[in-house]
Amino acid sequence: MPDNNQSAPFRPRKVLCIEDEHFIGELYQRALSKAGYDITLELDGLKGLELAQSGKYDIILLDLMLPTMTGIEVLRRLKDPKQTPGMHSKIIITTNLEQREAVRDDIEQQADGYIIKAEITPHELVTFLNNIS
Amino acid sequence: MEQVKVFTGQVRRHILAVLITNNIVIFAGWWIGQKGFDLDFTTLFVSLVIVSLIITVLIGLMSAYILSMPTKLIAQAILHVSPDEGGVGAPDQTKTYLGKLMVSKLCNDVYRIANVVQSVSLQKNNSPDLKANFIADSLPLPLIVLNKKLDIIFANAAALKYLHVSAEDITGKNLYSSLDLSFTTNDTFDTWYSKAKGDAVTTSQTWQRVRLKLGDKQTTVMFDLAAYYNKDNPQGYEILLTMFDHTQQYAQDDQAISFVALAVHELRTPLTLLRGYIEVFEEELEGKVSTELSDYLKKMKASAKQLSSFVSNILNVARIDADQLVFKLHQEDWADIVNAAVRDMLLRAQLQGVKINVEAEPNLPAVGVDRVSISEVLINLIDNAIKYHGKGNEIAIKLFATKDGFVETDIKDFGIGIPNSAMPNLFDKFYRSHRNVVQIGGTGLGLYLSKAIVTGHGGNIWVRSKENEGSTFSFTVLPFTKLADEQKKQDNGDIVRSAHGWIKNHSFYRR
Repeated sequence: MPDNNQSAPFRPRKVLCIEDEHFIGELYQRALSKAGYDITLELDGLKGLELAQSGKYDIILLDLMLPTMTGIEVLRRLKDPKQTPGMHSKIIITTNLEQREAVRDDIEQQADGYIIKAEITPHELVTFLNNIS
Repeated sequence: MEQVKVFTGQVRRHILAVLITNNIVIFAGWWIGQKGFDLDFTTLFVSLVIVSLIITVLIGLMSAYILSMPTKLIAQAILHVSPDEGGVGAPDQTKTYLGKLMVSKLCNDVYRIANVVQSVSLQKNNSPDLKANFIADSLPLPLIVLNKKLDIIFANAAALKYLHVSAEDITGKNLYSSLDLSFTTNDTFDTWYSKAKGDAVTTSQTWQRVRLKLGDKQTTVMFDLAAYYNKDNPQGYEILLTMFDHTQQYAQDDQAISFVALAVHELRTPLTLLRGYIEVFEEELEGKVSTELSDYLKKMKASAKQLSSFVSNILNVARIDADQLVFKLHQEDWADIVNAAVRDMLLRAQLQGVKINVEAEPNLPAVGVDRVSISEVLINLIDNAIKYHGKGNEIAIKLFATKDGFVETDIKDFGIGIPNSAMPNLFDKFYRSHRNVVQIGGTGLGLYLSKAIVTGHGGNIWVRSKENEGSTFSFTVLPFTKLADEQKKQDNGDIVRSAHGWIKNHSFYRR
């Protein structure tokens, strides 16, 4: 689907993908790099949080089930101005986990998007990200 | 009445005696004055007038006292038990000379009536001793009474036992500081109470699946909560709460859901990878492999996508069955949603050689739907139409506004149709029509799920079919304006519904 490449932004947007399933991370890396994104992979929750707090990234793809720190906790800390001042990255939850409605409400309020990974292909993820300004 | 007759006789005799005495005194005075003292007429007349005047006044005063005493004593008895009079003592029944029987009978009656009234209306002072109330304490259901400020003024024995607390622990404490209640929706006790205070005199409400962490912070109980509100109750019983324990049952439901959710998660991980790798193959091998192989790849891709929808269906059906599927209705462009669903199904349709035509009436009103859920309905119905397209190679989708103000969607295939005998069960769980004798995938969850979702949106779903001519599945959704009033009532701007209807008080009673 070459049209994804055409609609990619001029300045390569920086994406941090916090995803413990290595192969899924790889697939996303492949599709996003091809579409002109600059993507960093991280398998660990706590390390992912530290990277995200550096403020270098435009978009953060965040899984919920992660080693050392859950995605929900990472999200909470990133959205807490005391712990992460000046947070500007868009945070997209990418998970295969269905949350109970109450929890999901909470996540939806804080995150900029919620994607069930099995329901989209890597290319569809690229299209989704292209549409995020 | 016997006592009254006796009293009347006594009064009659009293008056007669007084009048006779009066006359005797006057005549005797006349006789004594004339014969004994030899007074002249004028002196005798004047002295007699003076004497009779004095006697009349004295007799009048005495008679008034004696005759009014019974009335006075009865009045005193009534005032003694009256709630508005303070400081009136009990009557001394020995004080009366006349009508003793009647006074004692009527006073006794007054006290008996007062006793009956008192036991009916609990007690008339303001600190009722509910603890001594046999009914409240023997009630095998937890009962909690709150005042206007939501302070707990009473908890019965069953409540104390259920909550593992003593009466001293919670009596006088605020509801929120002593009981950490959580509800499944925004429609909480608090929102209900604010509303009830504003516009109800008495009202009641029940909530299902209310959770409460007990004092030890370890145990969580789950119950249905029922509340009764009584505005400005004179005794201060503003709210009565009672709990129906379902801890075990709800925990089992939650476990079942957790299991399905876990299974779905585990299925989705390899599925994500499969779909990703298929896409890589498709991309890398494009133009490099035979048409046959590239066709297989497309089929693989479509199957993997179908599997991912199916996996989501399973979870949603489990949620519907546990009453945990909730819709958030937003204002949406209906044609836009339908076109997106059609685009999603395009590959599967192409593989089966089926064309999908969408014909949307211009100026359709914006609809109030949960985009994700209603798309699942469209995808399920289009998927069905593709599955059962038979020899027909077209699916016709029509969107239009109905006369009664709904937005209707018809999805018509020209396939093998459905026999009449199968029609009534079509929307049941796990029902598969006879058409499945031909090799067709699916488990019969799709229509069951679609019906629950459409009904939850306030619409209807139905099917018309003729064997060998095709079937038309139709459903309606509501224009957003029809829902807008409802929306104003929600603080967060969402209209929240469950798969079983509105998340409102009455839906719980209806079921």
